[in-house]
Amino acid sequence: MIRIIFFKELTDHFRDRRSLLGSLVLPVIGPLLLVGLFQIVENLERERPLDIPVVGAEHAPRLIQDLVANGAHILPAPPDPEELVRKGKADMVLVIDASYAEHYRSAQLARVRLIVDDSRNESHKNVRRVERILLGYTQGLGALRLMARGVAPQAASPLGLEEIDLATPQKLAANLLSMVPLFLMLAALVGGMNLAIDSTAGERERGSLEPLLLNPVSRSSIVIGKWLATSLASTIIALVTLLGFMLTIQYLPLERLGMKVALGPLQAGQILAAILPLTLFGAGLQMLIATFARSFKEAQTYLGLLNLLPMVPAMFLMLGPPPDDWWMLALPTMAQVGVVVRVLRGDLVPGWQLLVIALSSLAYSAICVACLTRLLSRERIVFGR
Amino acid sequence: MIQIEGLEKRYGAVQAVQGVSFQAEDGKVTGLLGPNGAGKTTTLRMLSSLVEPDAGRALVDGIDVRRQPREALRRLGLLPDSRGLYPRLTAREHLTYFGGLHGMRRAALERRTAELAELLDMRELLDRRVAGFSQGERTKVAIGRALVHGPHNIVLDEATNGLDVMSTRAMRGVIRSLADSGCCVLFSSHVMQEVSALCDEIVVFARGRVVSVGSPAELRARTGEDNLENAFVKIIGTDVGLE
Repeated sequence: MIRIIFFKELTDHFRDRRSLLGSLVLPVIGPLLLVGLFQIVENLERERPLDIPVVGAEHAPRLIQDLVANGAHILPAPPDPEELVRKGKADMVLVIDASYAEHYRSAQLARVRLIVDDSRNESHKNVRRVERILLGYTQGLGALRLMARGVAPQAASPLGLEEIDLATPQKLAANLLSMVPLFLMLAALVGGMNLAIDSTAGERERGSLEPLLLNPVSRSSIVIGKWLATSLASTIIALVTLLGFMLTIQYLPLERLGMKVALGPLQAGQILAAILPLTLFGAGLQMLIATFARSFKEAQTYLGLLNLLPMVPAMFLMLGPPPDDWWMLALPTMAQVGVVVRVLRGDLVPGWQLLVIALSSLAYSAICVACLTRLLSRERIVFGR
Repeated sequence: MIQIEGLEKRYGAVQAVQGVSFQAEDGKVTGLLGPNGAGKTTTLRMLSSLVEPDAGRALVDGIDVRRQPREALRRLGLLPDSRGLYPRLTAREHLTYFGGLHGMRRAALERRTAELAELLDMRELLDRRVAGFSQGERTKVAIGRALVHGPHNIVLDEATNGLDVMSTRAMRGVIRSLADSGCCVLFSSHVMQEVSALCDEIVVFARGRVVSVGSPAELRARTGEDNLENAFVKIIGTDVGLE
């Protein structure tokens, strides 16, 4: 009997093209989003050519030499420097005063102005480079002048400041990879959502629940058949999503960013071992909630909110390291996200932990199924009053 | 054979069914007539095991519905008040699904599907998806689904609701032939003309009670009316909710 109900629900579901396409959106968008964001990170990291239009370059040949020696390309002076920067056609424009040479020789303050647009993030990096070159130039020059006057240069610069930038490309890329567990969780929940609703709230709204219950079949067989069908639909979507990520990660230029992510069969197996029990629980929980809804639409609203749930552990992960307290293994979605993150970082999760995850999810599923079975004997649920 | 013995059901302050007893015999069409809200549907739901009575019992071929619901359901073919279909399945798949749930094997199912297609005149509907069906076509599928396991006791709640004149006539023919083949047919309706035309035995419902039972001739004689419909109105005391 369970088999008959299971196959009927699947046949029915797979003929529903619109909801099927809807559930395929996630597995397609996830990997595509990953590729797109990676491209953006890579572009950010790739150094922009250091082009500097200079006004009055002829007044300061040494300074220009120093800039060129540090990798800058000096461009001819534009007619309207400020306009050029404001429109974002140049990261900055260097303006050297006509009085520069005279002031330089007489050791007065020789003015150079750097015209920048601080609101443009993409030019920050180059502006900082030029500022550092200019600062180095003026400090070197100052040191020479002090030495010429018999003073130790250190006297004028008590601090030796050195900046070490930790925002490495690896870090950014690792942050991007944390969307992988989120999408896998979502797929494991959303994949069977339509079936969960259609076979509970939908069945009643359509008026086919009463005829179904008039068959000599136990309530538990009916519930289990529907539950397994929903779980399978979720599993398929989760599998497709995982496969998509495996392919993308294989072809992403992670090595160029100095990262090593292995997502081979062993890793995929571990991720699956964590996610498959979640599809069982997700299916049960969604059916339970949908059963209380008065209509298909109402159920969709509730389950839409439920599907925000995996966002919570994902948010935690953005903030800190993956949780590995034992009690978190018994928290669905939290545990799964932890496993995926650890596997992506190259660790393998011990088998006993996977077992705890599986058993806890199975226990929750059993509770859902038992509740559903009891609900189907209630007049108020069956007749929707 | 269906026996209803002293069924009672209360919803909050409303006594929906009070002390209802009657029986429907094999080879006869027994009609439940009463205005909407008279307790017919609630009584049939207690018969089908979906609603638990506060008191009394329902027997199908001597089997207590409450004690052995699945045994009773095997002997019942029920067309309930709600008769939703699965729009993405074909008519044949509906019959196969419900037949399967009754434990029927493939060969028996195919034979029965062909029989029902003949009986309900739905051969050309069989392999079409239900989504585009008319009301009458849907009702045929719903009745086919209720009869797929060849039940001996057939319960139809407002079977001709929403049907056009032609379909209604065809449906009457089907109901008549089922009774003639020895089945026990219990048929509820709020349409007087339908009950007059079809039933061998009539159970008249009003305000949750059975107010009169008898053959059409007996009901006419009891009320002193020549016209059966006038007799109904006299028994119930009003024609509100009747057609």
